[in-house]
Amino acid sequence: MLIVEGLSVSYGPVQALQDVSLTVPPGQVTAVIGANGAGKSTLLRTLAGLVRPEAGRVTFNGDDITGWAPEDVVRSGIAMVPEGRSTIPELSVEENLRLGGLWRTQAQRNASEAKVFALFPILQERRHLRADTLSGGERQQLAIGRALMCGPQVLLLDEPSLGLAPLIVTQILELVRDRARETNLAVLLVEQNAVTALRVARTGMVLNLGRVVQQGPAAEIASDEQLRHAYLGY
Amino acid sequence: MGSFVDFFLGGVANGAVIALMALALVLVWRSTRVVNFAQVGQAMFTTFVGLSVLQLTGSWFVALAVAVIAGALLGLIVHVLVMRPVRRADSSGAIIATFGVLIALQSLAAMIWGGEPRSYPTPVEYVGLEIFGRVFPITPYDILVLVVTALLVAALAILLTKTKLGLSMRAAAFNPEVARLSGVRVSRMLAVGWVIAGMVGAVAGVLVAPTSTLSPNSFDIFLVFAFTAAVIGGLDSLVGAVAFGIGTGLVLSLVTGYSDASNAAIVALVLLGLNLWFKPDGVFSHHKARSV
Repeated sequence: MLIVEGLSVSYGPVQALQDVSLTVPPGQVTAVIGANGAGKSTLLRTLAGLVRPEAGRVTFNGDDITGWAPEDVVRSGIAMVPEGRSTIPELSVEENLRLGGLWRTQAQRNASEAKVFALFPILQERRHLRADTLSGGERQQLAIGRALMCGPQVLLLDEPSLGLAPLIVTQILELVRDRARETNLAVLLVEQNAVTALRVARTGMVLNLGRVVQQGPAAEIASDEQLRHAYLGY
Repeated sequence: MGSFVDFFLGGVANGAVIALMALALVLVWRSTRVVNFAQVGQAMFTTFVGLSVLQLTGSWFVALAVAVIAGALLGLIVHVLVMRPVRRADSSGAIIATFGVLIALQSLAAMIWGGEPRSYPTPVEYVGLEIFGRVFPITPYDILVLVVTALLVAALAILLTKTKLGLSMRAAAFNPEVARLSGVRVSRMLAVGWVIAGMVGAVAGVLVAPTSTLSPNSFDIFLVFAFTAAVIGGLDSLVGAVAFGIGTGLVLSLVTGYSDASNAAIVALVLLGLNLWFKPDGVFSHHKARSV
């Protein structure tokens, strides 16, 4: 289980996260929502090892992984899909997928690839094409597929809805949620689009200016009108 | 017309070596976004190492192998001792550092082997082939150069496109963050890029040495040609480096043939200028794909 305790991050004089604690349980989606600049992406980037925290502790399956480099974090079982459909356009679809988890055995990689193709059949169909020929939704599937190729126990998803049609986002996120249930995967979803995120999540957390303002069951957060007006802007 | 064919043929082997040196520049650029102006210095140094081994063992091919190993080591040394420490500086700092390495290597070579130009022998004849009573300006040595170049380019292509290491290197070059998140040890890939570039440059140095002379500064002009080819090719395109390396060799051969050898460098710079004016991203650049 991924446990975050009292995490604080600052970029120079700017405090991006302050004393954030959360637990990401397996088999379900946990949503982190909040306005632009609330510190959501910083939280994910810190968990993935891209940003070093100033204070706090991140433990995963009992190991203290605070401050680990991204390539070690992903080996420990935490894979991140960064913001903006982070595929590599110069590589083919298959190469983008195969990039995930190169350190694993061939058998493990083949098994993961079969599972990704079962989850996102379009990727198998297009596997020899360059990634930049894919549509936005397909590229997001590819980015998630690459993360799943790392054989993660925890999947960190950063703003998957960015620039995609709402219907496609819902479809992809429902697939991810079902996959989390079936394979006991823990998903930490960061979203500006609170409605969509809270629909697939079981628990949620609202961030505002780097601080946790609310934490609890997703349904409760979704129905809290005051919270919505104050922090989520709808 | 006969002379045109001669100049053309004469340029191919020269172009192949320029292509190799351009490849070395591109390999470093792709992984570190630094134009390694020390590349010809490294090649010069390892060619001197090769020459020493050649005099010791008498075997041209053993000398080539030792030069390649020296090229790998020197690439690693430059990366670890110079480039990694300056990485935190801005990119112009890194580029200036490569000039520093170039000057240091030239001085060191002059101290060890002296400044006198030496000749580097060939393993096969270096006289024009006679076919049907006509002497063509393509020699058995040129053919050896072409074969070695073709084999090396093919090996590089297989390494980069068919192996895990190659995939890691390409991913690290195109998008370091995504590569790291996927588990690629990007800093190690940078070192691998310097090592492979050092090896390719070492081959280029040994191959070109017999066609001119070897002295601490004799490869400097070679840098102009290789840089031109690499930039016109798009700096991050291996295909572009090879294509325009050979193309540059052909153009230079024609210029040398129809006017004078001293014009070759000027023409190379004019080509570079035209390219930067009309197509600054280079002909084979991936830049378009990236901006999508």
